[in-house]
Amino acid sequence: MKVAAVALASVTLATVVLATVASGFSRTEQVSSPTYTKDIAPLIADRCGMCHDAGGAAPFGLLTYADAKRHATQIATVTRSRFMPPWKADPDNGPFVGQHPLSDAEIDLIRRWVDGGTVEGDPRDLPAPRHWAEGWRLGQPDLIVTLPEAYTLQAEGTDVFRIFVIPLPVTKTRFVRGLEFRPGNAKVVHHANIRVDKTAASRALDAADPGPGYSGLILRSADYPEGHFLGWTPGQVAPLLPKDLSWRLDPKTDLVIETHMQPSGKKESVQPSIGLYFSDTPPTRTPAMLRLGRQTIDIPAGEKQYIVTDSYTLPVDVEVEALQPHAHYRAREVQGDATLPDGTKKPLIHIADWDFRWQHVFQYETPLRLPKGTTLSMRWVYDNSAANTRNPERPPKRAQWGQRSSDEMGDLWMQVLTRNEPDLVTLTRQFRAKVAAEDVNGYEVEIEKHPNDIGLHDDAALLYLEVGRPENAVAHFQKSLALKGGSAPAHYNLGTALSVAGRLDEAVYEYRQAIQIDASYANAHNNLGSVLLSQGKTAEAAREFREVIRLQPQSASGLANLAWVLATASRPADRDATQAVDLAERVVDLTGRRDARALDVLAAAYASAGRFDRAQDAASAALRLLPAEPLASEIRQRQDLYRQGRPYVAQDPQSRR
Amino acid sequence: MIPSALFFVMVYVMSRWFVALALLVGGLLASPGQIVHAAPQVRVQQVDGGHAVDPLAAPAGSKAIVFLFTSTDCPISNRYAPEVRRLATTYGPKGVVFRLIYPNPAENAKGIREHMAAFAYAGAAQAFRDPKLDLVKFVGATITPEAAVVVDGKVVYRGRIDDRYVDLGLERPAATTHDLGEALEAVVTGRKVPHPTTQAVGCYIADFAR
Ligand code: HEC
Repeated sequence: MKVAAVALASVTLATVVLATVASGFSRTEQVSSPTYTKDIAPLIADRCGMCHDAGGAAPFGLLTYADAKRHATQIATVTRSRFMPPWKADPDNGPFVGQHPLSDAEIDLIRRWVDGGTVEGDPRDLPAPRHWAEGWRLGQPDLIVTLPEAYTLQAEGTDVFRIFVIPLPVTKTRFVRGLEFRPGNAKVVHHANIRVDKTAASRALDAADPGPGYSGLILRSADYPEGHFLGWTPGQVAPLLPKDLSWRLDPKTDLVIETHMQPSGKKESVQPSIGLYFSDTPPTRTPAMLRLGRQTIDIPAGEKQYIVTDSYTLPVDVEVEALQPHAHYRAREVQGDATLPDGTKKPLIHIADWDFRWQHVFQYETPLRLPKGTTLSMRWVYDNSAANTRNPERPPKRAQWGQRSSDEMGDLWMQVLTRNEPDLVTLTRQFRAKVAAEDVNGYEVEIEKHPNDIGLHDDAALLYLEVGRPENAVAHFQKSLALKGGSAPAHYNLGTALSVAGRLDEAVYEYRQAIQIDASYANAHNNLGSVLLSQGKTAEAAREFREVIRLQPQSASGLANLAWVLATASRPADRDATQAVDLAERVVDLTGRRDARALDVLAAAYASAGRFDRAQDAASAALRLLPAEPLASEIRQRQDLYRQGRPYVAQDPQSRR
Repeated sequence: MIPSALFFVMVYVMSRWFVALALLVGGLLASPGQIVHAAPQVRVQQVDGGHAVDPLAAPAGSKAIVFLFTSTDCPISNRYAPEVRRLATTYGPKGVVFRLIYPNPAENAKGIREHMAAFAYAGAAQAFRDPKLDLVKFVGATITPEAAVVVDGKVVYRGRIDDRYVDLGLERPAATTHDLGEALEAVVTGRKVPHPTTQAVGCYIADFAR
């Protein structure tokens, strides 16, 4: 047996251990060195206690002398490196809720206490013990839900993500002021992203995956509730919302909890609970969620400095409530700024050492006011070389946008409040267009990777319709139709995109195909009718709308469309004002007077019946709902006619050509 | 009575030692003849009490002893349990003896037994306590988890198991260098250990003795 000689370095290290231990005894009585009771206990209680209490979010307690001493060198190390307390943002940003960084002097104090032998000191110096609320930190919840069956986390691996879906047992609409997450096993649960899904889609994925929850991606249908962040990082509980800012929770909503866990070396049981806090009154204000970011991220393997930027200029005044930067392992530095209309630059968030594992929602202590014309901007820097310790690929590989943690993302989410409802509408409408245009890019990346995923093609087509690119929508629906084979909905979808693209004859063909497969397809009849109407085939169109109503007597679109034809047909023989008013009134009731288009139809029906005062009122009511363009201008033009005592009559498309 | 009782304890210690080893290094029980003695007088405690024993003593034919310094509640240490078991399964049959060392004087027999059961160490490695840091000082360990590979009473490797942890709070998605595995591979194939010392990351043994 041939053996290498012993490295003598080991002996030296042993001496170091000895020396440290010995110095502890020799310096106990020295006056100058900090003591636990006087210097360290208050500091730990104040800056570490909210997580490192018994049963808290951190893996061990630090609130007794014995515990602090047992971790002394580690405490000195992690405070010096600023790993603890975990606060990734520049201390000058904010101030944010829960920000407790240590000063350089405090870090040095800890170091001197450890070097000085972790002296206990006079027990009389000990501060009064601070009690962290046991159990729920926001108080007794109104509703507690727990994962019905514990999830067994594997023993090994670095980061494990599992998505749990918990149905909420609410039987009537509630308004939520707060949500508290309890990890169930603080040793392994690192953070949680929480969303709500009003569809059964997440639940279906859960059911299809054996064991509690599912592994995969959060679906698009699982989203933040109306402009509110939800989530959990250790030690952070978002305070209760003011009553006027609650969010609406309807029955049949599921909580979707993407849980990030770190295996502990043995199998662990994980069973999170969530407490919900309700308010009786609906919200009077709704925040808007803004998202800067790119889905065109494509980082070559080995690239050391890949930069992603985005910006957006606010069309209205806002107050920023909270921020959340998001990226995966390759991001190294994130920087978000606001440039005011006068050119002053205000840093929003700067994280010099981005760590995917410490995601956090940074909530302002007092909301930050930003005037209209302020430009929000982000600059994320990525390192896809082997020099980035956190790079998940060895050797590095090309990284594209994607939701999997092995892909990359780059977003800055911002929760803002506007001054009033019209400002909110202006902001969300404009912003939605920006986000949809970016989401389209993400879909194209996904589709490149999974060209035969029908759901991806369908979603992408819908987004293309939303951003006004119907030809692209046609292409994706065609692909989807080819993949699915000729199902009625596939023909219907394609027909819809063709209609929007103005390819009316082709649209008619697709709708007829859908109806041939499924004669009771009310939406297909409805859209076919609409296309026929715009081709000037009024009588044929009316027949289709009547078929819709026969199939679905409560169909708002069927009733509205028929009312519209009967009120506005260019040939007097096709009109019937009395029936039009009757149908339109039903539609307005069905839509709770909250639909501008329904009110517009009602106005046209009244005008057709010669009741111009009522027509003007209905048009005003429609305009108060702030409809989008071009509908808003059209309603205004029609209202002018009513003022002059004239009904609105559709132009014959034949004569228009 | 007394001498024979003492003798009995000795035999008991020895046989238990070899029985445990047999799980890893099958067949050694048949020839418990010589024990390789190291020069320095290093002693560790058996978990269940009884005599202090020489941790450097190994059955004849074994090529190396691996000491794995651990503690029951050090998270990084515990995350390595599956990797340690894998290494034991690979190198046990090749003549490498695995010994878990608990240097924290506060850890008792019950806690250690529970720990070994929870992390499935039983059968993969024997456990000893080192409350006086005798072995810790001999090999120069400072951290849990830290490994020391001893061949013929000499430390040929001391440091991390692999490079998954770079620092407290900085972790690679997966290890890129398997230092302990490389050291063991070198030992069993009769080559020189490429990196005799590396820096381990985890909990500080110095803190246990405060
Ligand atoms: C916001 C919650 C939070 C606060 C505040 C906090 N910690 Fe931690 N701490 C954690 C969590 C969670 C971990 C587990 C490490 C991980 O998950 O990566 C941890 C781990 C540690 C570790 C072990 C490091 C390791 O990698 O094993 C030490 C030591 C520590 N904290 C000390 C402190 C000290 C000292 C303070 C106060 C100055 C503090 N912590 C404040 C949450 C917190």
